[in-house]
Amino acid sequence: MKLWGGMLRAFLFGPGRRGGTWGQAFSSWEPHLPPAGLLNATELVSHWTAVFEKRGIPEARESSEYIVAHVLGAKTFQSLKPVLWTQPLTPWQLQCIQELSSHRLQRMPVQYILGEWDFQGLSLKMAPPVFIPRPETEELVEWVLEEVAQRPRVIGTQGGPLILEVGCGSGAISLSLLSHLPQSQVIAVDKGEAAICLTRENAQRLRLQDRIRIIPLDVTLEGSWAHLLPWGPVDLVVSNPPYVFSQDIEQLAPEIRSYEDPAALDGGEEGMDIIAHILALAPRLLKDSGSVFLEVDPRHPELVGSWLRSRPDLSLDLVAVRKDFCGRPRFLHIRRSEAQHGCPADT
Amino acid sequence: MRSRLLLSAARCLWARGAVAPARRHISCDRLQLEELFARGGPLRTFLDRQAGSESQVRGPELVAIAKLLSERERELRETEHLLHDENEDLRKLAEDEIASCQKEIAQLKHQIILLLVPSEETDENDLILEVTAGVGGQEAMLFTAEIFDMYQQYAAFKRWHFETLEYFPSEIGGLRHASASIGGSEAYKHMKFEGGVHRVQRVPKTEKQGRIHTSTMTVAILPQPTEINLVINPKDLRIDTKRASGAGGQHVNTTDSAVRIVHLPTGVVSECQQERSQLKNREMAMKKLRARLYSMYLEEETSKRYSARKIQIGTKGRSEKIRTYNFPQNRVTDHRINKSLHDLETFMQGECLLDELVQSLKDYADYESLVEIISRKL
Repeated sequence: MKLWGGMLRAFLFGPGRRGGTWGQAFSSWEPHLPPAGLLNATELVSHWTAVFEKRGIPEARESSEYIVAHVLGAKTFQSLKPVLWTQPLTPWQLQCIQELSSHRLQRMPVQYILGEWDFQGLSLKMAPPVFIPRPETEELVEWVLEEVAQRPRVIGTQGGPLILEVGCGSGAISLSLLSHLPQSQVIAVDKGEAAICLTRENAQRLRLQDRIRIIPLDVTLEGSWAHLLPWGPVDLVVSNPPYVFSQDIEQLAPEIRSYEDPAALDGGEEGMDIIAHILALAPRLLKDSGSVFLEVDPRHPELVGSWLRSRPDLSLDLVAVRKDFCGRPRFLHIRRSEAQHGCPADT
Repeated sequence: MRSRLLLSAARCLWARGAVAPARRHISCDRLQLEELFARGGPLRTFLDRQAGSESQVRGPELVAIAKLLSERERELRETEHLLHDENEDLRKLAEDEIASCQKEIAQLKHQIILLLVPSEETDENDLILEVTAGVGGQEAMLFTAEIFDMYQQYAAFKRWHFETLEYFPSEIGGLRHASASIGGSEAYKHMKFEGGVHRVQRVPKTEKQGRIHTSTMTVAILPQPTEINLVINPKDLRIDTKRASGAGGQHVNTTDSAVRIVHLPTGVVSECQQERSQLKNREMAMKKLRARLYSMYLEEETSKRYSARKIQIGTKGRSEKIRTYNFPQNRVTDHRINKSLHDLETFMQGECLLDELVQSLKDYADYESLVEIISRKL
């Protein structure tokens, strides 16, 4: 079943949407046919690793391992059943690996090639150009879960927290929070139609669709917050907003630059454009003691701190900065000041 | 009801008659434990003293059960005489009575063992299973893969949770090293006896001239500490990932999710690349690291206590050859208790036969601790 999905994707996906690269892809995989007699998984991984290396494809070994494992029905080469390491592959499997590898030669991210990736404990469907969740964001979710666990139950009658995610992409953050917090509800917004569709599909695949409200919304538009008011004040706002500085976009790897939606990455001159919009809208939607959790660039904690000080009308305080697993300041916890209640003055 | 009355009446009559040889329904695995329970044996003397002493270290429960055991045994002896009665109905009744009596006696003995043998702190814990190929090249690796499968099936048989943490195969489908997390009811209590060197004797698939080879592999069983058992200072850990260089976050999209954790004070290293999610890999690597550190700590604590025993747990036992799988003779022999089982294929399916051997080892370990307790108290 899984294999069929993979093969179908391999054949249906890509050429239609990316007509430009198809011709190249086609011509580039013919010369890379593995020599006859090269038929088991281990040998195929070596073969494609060598091809990728020769063509300067990053993560050559990892890419070929993921592709071969995927076609054989496993998530990683490490977790492949041992008999499958040495067992000959069928012509269909060989062709499928060939097909998927040709996409990698075009620098397509492995996650798009496989059409799925894991986040926290969940397997999520991935499709271009929707932003691929990064491992750092798993830690953002961890932090939110820790805070929810520590918080006294102020939420009242409804049970679990009501959470707003801005820029949901594939739905990774929202859906992992929902799966860990059985009482919670999420409002997920994104301005991209592809993201809205993918979040909806992932929610359905994980049977979490009953607790998530997915709304197409551009938070940079004037008065956009008003659309969210009917869903009531929220306990938490979570976001991994586009935070790459505009001048850095050009230096990103082709995997990112040519495949992922720039709107999910480009945060403007100082990477603050969307962050500022989220922070401006948060006080209107948050409950009195509500919090905002953000993933940001390591330069942002300082920038956001001073920006908030310049906007006392928002009544938001930067209460904590957390580092990611590489030791870079990456996550922000911003809380609504207890002292001041009600909406900001400029309403 | 009438039959019970009849039985007790008949028993009284027979009690004065000739003594018939007692039927023994004891399987030979439990023999040593049974010998301890023999009338006039050391355990009985110990139990009698318990009953007589004022302190009653193990509480009144033990004394009560010991008393009940004596009564049931007397009843059994008396009933056994009836097996020679002329009355067929009575003989039939006696047989039934004996069966139920023996069952009860076995249960009582089991209760006494449970009360006397101290359960280990870790018995209820989950555990990490580690298998590593030893001497014998590819053949040792093939055997290691088979043993790993056997334990995976044993976990399924015992309805335990089994999760592979790492798996490093060899070129021809063997296994260099693997580890798994096993959890469930009394998982460590059962699995702890599996640690040590396992030896295989057979004609390897790779052998062309039909000669029998001897190869080995090593099993390590590490109890998984609970949060309270072991506290690790996060500052003592270095976590390595492929994302350590560069800007990270949205700036990069790498798929290498492998994680390596180093515990700086001890130099213990734990790695995982089993999952696509880096967070999951980190959790699994951490699980393994905690188990390794915990077993190091435990070994320091317990090495003195158990040094004299035949059945060793931990590092001491890890270098000891505990079991031989002899394929030409279709036999598996555990050298610690000198027990052999036949039908290797069934044994390696990790079901009843392996469970039987594990049970025997548990019994023997109980026997050893009982002997220790009795000799201490006498």
